[in-house]
Amino acid sequence: MKRILTLALAAALVMAFAATSFAGATYDKIMKDKVVRIGIMTDSIPGAFYNAKKEWVGFDVDIATEIAKRLGVKLDKVPVNNKTRIGFLQQGRIDMSVSNMTHKRSRDNSIDFSITYFFDGQKMLAPKGKFSSLKDFVGKKIAVMQGTTSELNVKKLLKDLGDAAPKVISYQKESECFQALQMGRVDAWSTDSTILLGYAAQVPGKYELVGEFFSNEPYGIGLPENDSKLRDAVNFALQDMWKDGTYANIYNKWYGPETKYYFPLTEKIEMWP
Amino acid sequence: MINRYLEKTWVQYLCLAAVTALLVYYFGWVFDFGYKFDWTVLFKKDPSYDMVLGDMLVTGLGLTISITLMSSAIALGLGILFGLGRLSQFKPVYYFSTCYVEFFRNTPLLVQLFFWYFALPMALPESVRSFLFDRNFEMISATVGLGIYTSSFMAEVIRAGIQSIPKGLLEASYSSGLTAFQTLTKIVLPLAFRAIIPPLGSEFLNNMKNSSLAMVVGVAELCWSSQQIESLTFKGFEATTAATVIYLSLSLTIAGILTLVNWKLQIVPVKNRKFGHKFAHMLFCPIEAPFVYISKMHRRFMRKRKENFNLTRAQAARKALTAKVMKVLSYVWKTAFVGSIGFLLIMALYGVSKFNFQVIWDNLGTMIWWKFPNGGPNEILWGLGGLSFSILMSVIAISVSFFIGLIVGIGRTSKNKLFLIPSTLYIELIRGNPLIMVIFWIYFFIPILTGQFMNVFWSATIALTVFTGAYLAEIVRSGIQNLPPGQFEAAVSTGLTYWQTMRKIILPQALKQMLPAIVGQFISIFKDTSLAFVIGVLELTFVAQGLNNRLMIYPFEIYTTIAFLYFICCYLMSLVARRLERKLSTDTFRLQM
Repeated sequence: MKRILTLALAAALVMAFAATSFAGATYDKIMKDKVVRIGIMTDSIPGAFYNAKKEWVGFDVDIATEIAKRLGVKLDKVPVNNKTRIGFLQQGRIDMSVSNMTHKRSRDNSIDFSITYFFDGQKMLAPKGKFSSLKDFVGKKIAVMQGTTSELNVKKLLKDLGDAAPKVISYQKESECFQALQMGRVDAWSTDSTILLGYAAQVPGKYELVGEFFSNEPYGIGLPENDSKLRDAVNFALQDMWKDGTYANIYNKWYGPETKYYFPLTEKIEMWP
Repeated sequence: MINRYLEKTWVQYLCLAAVTALLVYYFGWVFDFGYKFDWTVLFKKDPSYDMVLGDMLVTGLGLTISITLMSSAIALGLGILFGLGRLSQFKPVYYFSTCYVEFFRNTPLLVQLFFWYFALPMALPESVRSFLFDRNFEMISATVGLGIYTSSFMAEVIRAGIQSIPKGLLEASYSSGLTAFQTLTKIVLPLAFRAIIPPLGSEFLNNMKNSSLAMVVGVAELCWSSQQIESLTFKGFEATTAATVIYLSLSLTIAGILTLVNWKLQIVPVKNRKFGHKFAHMLFCPIEAPFVYISKMHRRFMRKRKENFNLTRAQAARKALTAKVMKVLSYVWKTAFVGSIGFLLIMALYGVSKFNFQVIWDNLGTMIWWKFPNGGPNEILWGLGGLSFSILMSVIAISVSFFIGLIVGIGRTSKNKLFLIPSTLYIELIRGNPLIMVIFWIYFFIPILTGQFMNVFWSATIALTVFTGAYLAEIVRSGIQNLPPGQFEAAVSTGLTYWQTMRKIILPQALKQMLPAIVGQFISIFKDTSLAFVIGVLELTFVAQGLNNRLMIYPFEIYTTIAFLYFICCYLMSLVARRLERKLSTDTFRLQM
C-alpha cells in the first residue's frame, strides 16, 4: 500500500511539472530551437498530398516551406487531418497549421488566424449539361464533406432558394463525395471550388462547375491563441511573399493556366502600408 | 497493522473517497489543462451558424437508437438462420453459412460499410439502384451492413450454444417421438437461448457501439454529431464529453435490460424469487402473454389432428402423398439453393474479372509496406505504413494490454473494495464506449496530462491498448471465476498466500482456458486498427483511402484488395485460435503416467 501511495504521489508530481511545460511564447521557442513545426494535410489535392512517389507536395507545402525560410528556421512538416489540426495546435504539437482552414468568427474563439492567404469560394460540381444555374438544385441531393463549412453554406443557399428541407449528405473524405457523385447517389457535390476543379480534371469532359460562387472561404493559417509576435511574423512573411512575386510563382505552379487545376487569382491579400 | 485496517470495508471506502477527492481537487483547481473550457457551445445559440449545436446531439441520439434497434433485429434473424445453417446436414448450406460467418467476422466493419455503400450499388441494375437511391440509402446500407456484421458473431454464439446441449437430451426427445422440428423448437432453442443470453447480450451492446461507424457513410448519428460540433467550433473536449456521457448511459441501459432478461430466464422456484426476478417477470409479462396464448391455441388446434397407429386407407394415402410432396419440395429447395449460390459465385467472379489488376499490382506494395522515400523527423518506425503498420499496432497493443488485463482482471475478482471498484470502473467505462470515442479521448488527453506530443501512431496504439485491456480483464475474470472454488480453498489451506495462490495455482489454469478467447481478442483488435484512420494514422485503411483519393476511379479494386488483406490475416489467426481450442480442450486431454 505504501508503495502505491508513493507511486501515486510521484505520478502527481510528474503531471504538475508537465503542466508547466505548456507555458511560454511559441515565437520565442521557434527562434530558440530554430525549427518551426507546421501542420499540413496529406490528402487534399492539390493543396497538400502524397504523390505517386510518396513525396509530400502541394500548394500548402510550398507556402509552409516559404514561411519557414522567411522566419529563418528549419521546417518540420507534421501530417494533420481535419480532425487533428486544431487539437495539435492547441496542445502545442505544431506551431501553426497550413491546412485549408476557413477563417470563421466562431473558430477564432479557440485559435488565432493569420491574414487570408488563399481565396476560395464554394461552387457546385455536377454532371455536364444537367443543370444551368443554382436554382436548379432546389430539391436535389448534394454531397458535402463533414467538418467543413460547406455543409452549412449549402443548406443556407438551398433554403434561401426556397427548398424547405435541403437534402445534404456529408461524407468524411473528398474522394467519397466524388464517388457518390459518380455513382449517382447525389446530383451535385459542393465544396471549395479548387478542390472540385482537382477532381473534375481527373475525368475530363464529364463534370462541370455550375453557377456562381455562393460563399466566401478565406483560408487563414491557424496560429496558437495569444501570440502576437508569431502572428505578426507570419503576416509579414505572407505580405512579403506577395510583394516580391514568390506568392504568384507558387500559385501559378499549382493553380496556373497550364495546370490541371486552373483557378484564376482574382483577389489580393490584405497589405498593410 | 495497516493490512488489518485495510481489510475493513469502511477503511477501503474511506481510502477511495480520499483518492477521489484528491483527484477532483487536483484536476479541478491545481492542474492547468492549457485549454479553455466553454460548455456553452452545447446549449447556447451559436452566432456564426445561427443554431443551437447541442440539438445535433439529440437528433444524433435518435438516429443511433433507431439504427441500433433495426440492425439488432436483422442481426438476430440472420444470426439464427446462419447459426442453424452451420449445423445443417445439407453440405451446401453448411459451406455457405461457414463462408458467410468467416468472411464477415474477419474483415473490419469499416471496410464492409464502405463496400456496401460505395461499391455494391454499382453492381446493381439501374432500376434497383434508383429505387434504393430514392430512399434513405445511407440509413439502409448502414443498418443492413451493421446487421450483417453483427449477425456473423451472433451466428457463432448461437451455434456454440446449440452445440453445448448434451446429446442425451436429443436422444431422449427423438426416442419420445418428437419430430426434428419439435425437438428444435421445444428442446434445443429454449435451452440454447438460456445458455447464450449473456454472450448474445454483449453482441447487442457491441452492435450499439459499432453504430458509431455509420458516420463514415454519411449518417448523422451520435458520433457524427459530436464530430460536427467539434469541427464547427473547434471545441473538441466539450463535444466528445457530451457524446461519451450519452454512449455510457445507452450502454448502461442496454446492460440493465439484459440483466432483467437474465432474471426472467433464470429458473428459480416462485418462493425463492427475489425482487429483481419479480420485477423482470412483471415487466416482460405483456411481451410474453401473446406467445403463451398462441401456444395454447396451437396446442388445442393440434390436438385434433392426432392420428392413430391404425390408419385408414385414405389417411395412409394422404400421408404418403404428403411425404412425397415434401420430398419433391425439398429437392426443389435444394436445387434452387445450389443454383442461386452458383449464380452468386459466377457474378462475383465476373465482377472480379473486370478489375483492373494492374492497378492492384502496382499499389500492392504501397498497401503492405508503405515507405517514404526520404526520411523526415516525423516518420516513426522507418517511415512504415499500410498493413505492416496495422500488424505492428495490434502486436504492441495486445502484448501490453495483456498485462493490464491480467492485473485489472484479478482486481475485478478481488474482495477488497480498494481494488474492486477502480477495476470495475475502468472496465465499465471503457467497455461502455465505442472504440472510436476512446481513440478521441486518448488523443486529447495524453498530451494534456504528460506534456509530451506524441505521434498519432502512439496515440492510437495507446487507445487500442487501453480498450483491449478492459476486454481482456473481463476474459481473465471469467477465466478465474470458472475455476472451481475448491482450488482456491485448498491452496489457501496449504498455507500459500494470496499472490502465491494466484501465481502458482489459479492463473496457470485460468490462462490456459482463456487462450482461445485472447486470440479472438487479438483478431478483433487487428480489425479495429482500421479505426485509427480517423486521427490520420498511416495504417492500411488510411493508405487505401489516400490511394483512392489519388487514383480516384478504382474504388472497387482498392476496397476489395484491403478487405482481402484484412481477411487473410484475421483468418489465419482464427485458424490458430481453433487449433488452440482443440489442443487445450479438457475433453481430449489425456493423462499420461
